[in-house]
Amino acid sequence: MTAYILRRILYLIPTFFGATFLAFLIIQMAPGDYLTQLELDPKVTPETIARLRAQFGLDRPIYEQYLLWMNNLLHLNLGYSFAFQAPVLEVIWPRVVNSMVIVIPSTLLLYLVAIPIGVYGAVRQYSLGDRILSFLAYVGLSVPSFFLALIAIYILLQIKFKTGTLPFPVSGMTSTGFEQLPPLRQLLDIAWHAVVPILVATANDIAGLSRLMRGQMLEVLGQDYIRTARAKGLAERVVLYKHAFRNAVIPFVATLGGLLPSLISGAGFVEVVMAWPGITPFFLDAIANQDLYVIAGFLTVSLVLLMIGNLISDLLLAWVDPRIRYE
Amino acid sequence: MKKALALIGILALVGAASAQTFVWPQKWTVAKPQEAKRGGTLRAAVISDYRTFNPFLTAEASNVPVLISGDRGLVTRDPTTGDWIPYMAESWTISPNKLEITFKIRKGMKWSDGRPITADDWITTWRIHTDKAVGSNSYDSFFIDGKPIVLKKLDDYTIRFIYPKTDAEAFAVASFEPWPAHVFGPVYQREGAEGIKKMWTLSEKPENIVSGGPWLIESYRPGERLVLKRNPAFGEWNKDEAGNPLPYLDRYEIKIVKDTNAQLAEFLAGNIDFMAPSTVDHISQIRQAIQQGRLDATIKVNASPVASSQFMVFNWNKASDPFKQSLFRSDKFRRAMSHIVNRQAVIDIVYGGLGTPMYTSVYPVLTQWINPKVPKYEYNPQQAAKLLAELGFTKKDKEGYLVDAKGRRIEFNLATNAGNAQREQIAKLIVDEAKKVGVKVNFQAIDFNTLVGQLLSSGPDRPFDAIIIGLSGGGLDWPFGSNVVPCKGNLHMWNKSGQCLDPRETQLDALYSRGRTELDFKKRVEIGYRMQEIEAELLPVIYIAGPNYHPAWNNRLGGEHPDAIISSIWGQREVELTFIKK
Repeated sequence: MTAYILRRILYLIPTFFGATFLAFLIIQMAPGDYLTQLELDPKVTPETIARLRAQFGLDRPIYEQYLLWMNNLLHLNLGYSFAFQAPVLEVIWPRVVNSMVIVIPSTLLLYLVAIPIGVYGAVRQYSLGDRILSFLAYVGLSVPSFFLALIAIYILLQIKFKTGTLPFPVSGMTSTGFEQLPPLRQLLDIAWHAVVPILVATANDIAGLSRLMRGQMLEVLGQDYIRTARAKGLAERVVLYKHAFRNAVIPFVATLGGLLPSLISGAGFVEVVMAWPGITPFFLDAIANQDLYVIAGFLTVSLVLLMIGNLISDLLLAWVDPRIRYE
Repeated sequence: MKKALALIGILALVGAASAQTFVWPQKWTVAKPQEAKRGGTLRAAVISDYRTFNPFLTAEASNVPVLISGDRGLVTRDPTTGDWIPYMAESWTISPNKLEITFKIRKGMKWSDGRPITADDWITTWRIHTDKAVGSNSYDSFFIDGKPIVLKKLDDYTIRFIYPKTDAEAFAVASFEPWPAHVFGPVYQREGAEGIKKMWTLSEKPENIVSGGPWLIESYRPGERLVLKRNPAFGEWNKDEAGNPLPYLDRYEIKIVKDTNAQLAEFLAGNIDFMAPSTVDHISQIRQAIQQGRLDATIKVNASPVASSQFMVFNWNKASDPFKQSLFRSDKFRRAMSHIVNRQAVIDIVYGGLGTPMYTSVYPVLTQWINPKVPKYEYNPQQAAKLLAELGFTKKDKEGYLVDAKGRRIEFNLATNAGNAQREQIAKLIVDEAKKVGVKVNFQAIDFNTLVGQLLSSGPDRPFDAIIIGLSGGGLDWPFGSNVVPCKGNLHMWNKSGQCLDPRETQLDALYSRGRTELDFKKRVEIGYRMQEIEAELLPVIYIAGPNYHPAWNNRLGGEHPDAIISSIWGQREVELTFIKK
């Protein structure tokens, strides 16, 4: 087993260099650079732009920029943000933490809700409940999350117009005067702001995950050993939960490792629409500005987490599925 | 008797204070000083997050240094007249050759940490801005035609600006806001530009940020909110006409809300106090909420045009395609193209009726500068067809497009930046109108950076036919672009061969320099009028139309500008004079 893990880690090294170089290349292949926006400013001279370009090192060949950046990476320095004039990690980290406030509860909620729904749908296939849930799942799958967030804002505003108070805030993560609150109240304030974004972020994913669970469960329920279990007179509950369910969740165990990069990658467009100070709006800005090292640095962190996550997944899979052995 | 004495006492006090005090004129606000209430929090929202607290590194339009300093320097503009008035300076004298302006700095002004504001602060600020290694965005503003403007300290409260040539924008140069020399100076001396770059990043503790303006930073939460609090040192020398210290407000809170729909929702919910909606849909939602009594607010629809331009530019440098090149260089052709731009349709369809047509490079909001008598080549397809016929395009081919005697068809590619829905709509209107007169226009939306690259490329053969784009920025003293008008200018977008091709370009180039060095406002306006006439004849670019400015505010705010000065240039209010009514 140890040999296997070591071998896997060795394989990660070329993957790492290949992936980072590819990412770096693709970002650089986009037309223009961070300073292109300045060029349409009637007050800025071309000499000034050329000087800044040299200062940022953007005038050097791509491979040279990549090697410099790699050298920094090996010293655990993700690079420097042009827009913020500060180290990338310093500007990224607070946003990632903010995003986690939504991502962690929403992921937990997702598994807590989606798996029972999926199991129910499989066990009571084509029942009225299954049909209603399937219908809702398809609605959830087809409505983009930013639109769901806009609908949520609309509903909140209508409640405000009818009753005069907002049940939940329409945007942001903290209230006015947040700094003056005692720590416990601060926590409650953030929680109060997070409710709607968490629900919106979860609603979209529930659809996909519950359909997957339903499909898995149905497939397992159609297997011979389930028929055998029923034939030997086991109680339906035991058949479902001890035999069918345990086998049906195996593919989900494999996806647990994939959650690791998603922890830092933000809750998506909900953050933009509801003005949540997470990583998504920040990263979109960085892409729009071509803030090279913010994009590259963030991708690198995601990449490392993805590689670790994959390794963990494989190990978990071996642990839960006795048919898999890495010897 | 006692009363009289008290009166004398007050008079004496006012007299003594006025030497050191800048009194904010009553005419800048609709509210009387006795109506103003002290305290409260003003709540606003901005689209993009702040990037630094460092005044030498900040590059974006709305930034923290500008906010806390109040964006005023030795001089500031009076919005009611547009004239420069002394602000941190008490007075100035101009040398007979008009190359030197000597400012007497107001005494008694203090930084928020209690140190006096003196000439050294301006000198240090200027030194750092003009250090190439710092990379300040203000660098270029301290040079005229590549020659530096020099600052000289005569004593602690006297400073002299020495200009390499007479400059209409001399006061604009002198209006930069100073930063504390005792904070930046020592670091700059010790570590140079690198030291400056490490200062006042967003992670700096708010209490370490020293301000000479109306605000101090109370707290900043990345991506979320900036809270400013009143700077008491500012109120010692900034008073209203009744002698009350300014600003009235305790706090100014700015939320970062990246989505305009979410901003609108916050405004409708009464959580932010002002905004300037830009789409018809947003405006009508605010109006509806006001009419149905759900929101107690004011909106000034069509307060003024916005301070930016929008135009279609043809490429004069197409050596690889002599037919197109001669077409694009022909003013008859460009006039015909101006005749197919249906500016009213653009306003009605693209801006929902809330826009303003444009005919010259001067933004329509700069009413003092607009020459009302310039020739306008309005929407007129018959006239366009006639002009094209004069160019030899009389017959139509099988597809219905105009061709000349040699069978060459008038066809060109038109590009704009993808994602700008309004410009894309404008382009489609032009494509349709062009088709009606028999001109084939192939529209393409391309990435902004690629577009800019094409537009600013130089040489005899450049890679585009026509582009729709806009410009913003530029001064009120001389509203012509130093990069745009001169033939060698980087933004001389229609012709980047590096030399003037049309005699009228040469003429504009010369007039631009004359205006820039003319100090008499009236004469400068005359030169500006002449330039607009030439522009309208030459049509180096074809101006289209732009949206209007529609400020809105919650009625809990008082102290907005009188209607006459609410515009995209002066905004809806001075924050210093704003107060919370309830």
